[in-house]
Amino acid sequence: MIDGPVIQTRSLTKSYGRLDAVRDLDLSVGANRITAFLGRNGAGKSTTIKLLLGMIHATSGDASVLGARIGESKESREMLRRVAYVAENKPLYPYMTVAQMIRFVSSFYPDWRPDAAERLMKEYELPADRKVKSLSKGMRTKLALLLAFARRPDLLILDEPSEGLDPVGIEHLLQHLVAQSADGISVFFSSHQIAEVERIADHVCILDKGRLLVDASLDDLRESYRRIDLVFPSIPLEHEFRMAGVERIETSGRQIRIFSSRNSRTVVQRAYELNAVSVEVTPVALRDIFLETVREN
Amino acid sequence: MLWYKAWLETRGRFLVSLCAISIIIAFFVHHAEHVITPEPKRETYFLLFFVHHYLAGLWILSVVLLGMGGLLRERAIGTSSLTLALPVSRTRVVGVQIALGILEAILLAVLPWSVILFTTDLAGRTFPASQAVFYILLLISGGLVYFALAVLISSLIEGEYTAPAVVYGLVVLSGIIFSSVDSLRPYADLWRFMGGDNYFNHVTYLLSGPFPWFGALTALVVAALMLLASVAVIQKREF
Repeated sequence: MIDGPVIQTRSLTKSYGRLDAVRDLDLSVGANRITAFLGRNGAGKSTTIKLLLGMIHATSGDASVLGARIGESKESREMLRRVAYVAENKPLYPYMTVAQMIRFVSSFYPDWRPDAAERLMKEYELPADRKVKSLSKGMRTKLALLLAFARRPDLLILDEPSEGLDPVGIEHLLQHLVAQSADGISVFFSSHQIAEVERIADHVCILDKGRLLVDASLDDLRESYRRIDLVFPSIPLEHEFRMAGVERIETSGRQIRIFSSRNSRTVVQRAYELNAVSVEVTPVALRDIFLETVREN
Repeated sequence: MLWYKAWLETRGRFLVSLCAISIIIAFFVHHAEHVITPEPKRETYFLLFFVHHYLAGLWILSVVLLGMGGLLRERAIGTSSLTLALPVSRTRVVGVQIALGILEAILLAVLPWSVILFTTDLAGRTFPASQAVFYILLLISGGLVYFALAVLISSLIEGEYTAPAVVYGLVVLSGIIFSSVDSLRPYADLWRFMGGDNYFNHVTYLLSGPFPWFGALTALVVAALMLLASVAVIQKREF
C-alpha cells in the first residue's frame, strides 16, 4: 500500500512554441484506485503521460511519480522500475519474436511473474515463435498488455489500452484492471471510451486543451451533475439562473434547460420563485458530463 | 539484455556486410592471383595494398549503416516509448548501441583481412601478419570517425533514408575537399590514412615506418567527441 498520491503535478506546463499542450496542470492521482484520464484527441493526455515518464521535458512546473521527481535521472529510473506502462501505439520491437520480447522486457524488472506471463500467453493465445511484425493489431495490443500485467508494479499507466481489442478482449482488459486495482495496484489510464471509464473508474480527470477541467470521483460526479428542464408560462431572463455551479443554459420557447455541476437545489428553488410550471431534474451520464464540460471549455 | 536488443537490431546489416565484404575481397584476391604473373612476392604486396583500399571503401559503406539506428530511428518506427519506459538511462541505451557498433566495425575489419590472408595462403603466397595488423589498425582508427559521424547524424536527423544519405554525402564531400587541398591532405585526408597511402613504400610495396599513433589517436579523439556529442543530443531530445 502506498501513502499519498502516486502522481502529483504542480503547474506542469509543456509548450511547443506558442501552443500549450499542457497548461498549469495540478493533478493528484490517489493510490490504490483506478483513475481515468478523459479528453478529446489532442487534449494533452499522452503529453502528460510522456512528461510523467520523462520522455519529454516540462517547460515549467514540476511533478512526481511514486515520490520520484520527474527529470531527476536516478529517481526516474527507480520510478520506472515500479511503473508498468503501455503506450498508445503499443510499441513492440518488430524484429523480435513474442518469446524474445517477453524475455527482453522481463530481464529489467525484479517484480516479473513468469507464471502470470505464461497464463496470459495461453489466455491471449499468443504464438511464442511468431515475429512481432507479423502479429495482428489485436495480438500486438495483447502482447503489450501482457508485458505490463505479468508484473507486480506499484502503478500501472495505460494510454488508450483498449484500442485495437475486440469486445472480448476489452471485457478481459476491464476485468483485469479491476483485479489489479483490488490487488493494491494503482491504475491510471487514458481513454476515449467513456462507457469503459464509467464501468471501472473510481476517479475521473477530464483534460481539454491542456487544462484540467474536472478532477473528481465518479460517485461525486454522478451525485452533483444534473440536467434541469424547466417550463415557464412566460420565459424569464437567462441571467436569473446565472449562479455558481450552472455550467450552461439553453433556452427554447418557454423551456429552459440548465446543466449544473452543483447547486441544483438552488436552481430548482429559483425556478419555483419564477413560477416554473414544470421542473424536471435528471442525473447526467458521464458521457454528457464530458461533452458538456469540453463544450463549455 | 540491451546488448541482445542491439544485436538483434543490427545483426542483419552486420552479417550481410560481413558476407558481402568477405566474398568480394576473397574473389578479388583469388581472381587477381591468377591474373598476376606468379613472380616475386612484391606483386602480392602490391595487390593487397589495392585490395585494402577496396576493403576500406566497403567498410565505410558498412559502418555508416551500422551507425544508423538508435532512439531517433526508434521514434520513427514508434518503439522509442517502449525503450524509454525501461528503467535504464538514455546514456546506457545509446552507449550499448555505440559499443556494439564499434565491436562490429572491428570485426568487419579483422574478419575480411583474415579471409584475405587465408585466400593468399591458398594461392601459395605469403604476406606478413604484421603488415595485416598495420592495415587493420589504420582502417579501424581512421574509419571509426565515419562510424561516429553516422551515429551523430542519426541522432540529429530523423528518417530511415535521410540520415544515411546525409552521411554518405558528407563522406564523399569531405573526401573531395581533403584530398584536393594540398595543405590539408597530410593531416585530414582520412582516406589516405586508412588506406595506408602515407606509409606505403613504393620499392618494397609494404607499409613502412612506425605505426602513426598520433594520427590514429587524433582520429579516435575526433570520433569520441562526435560520439559524446550524439549522447548529449539524445539526452536533450524529446520523444
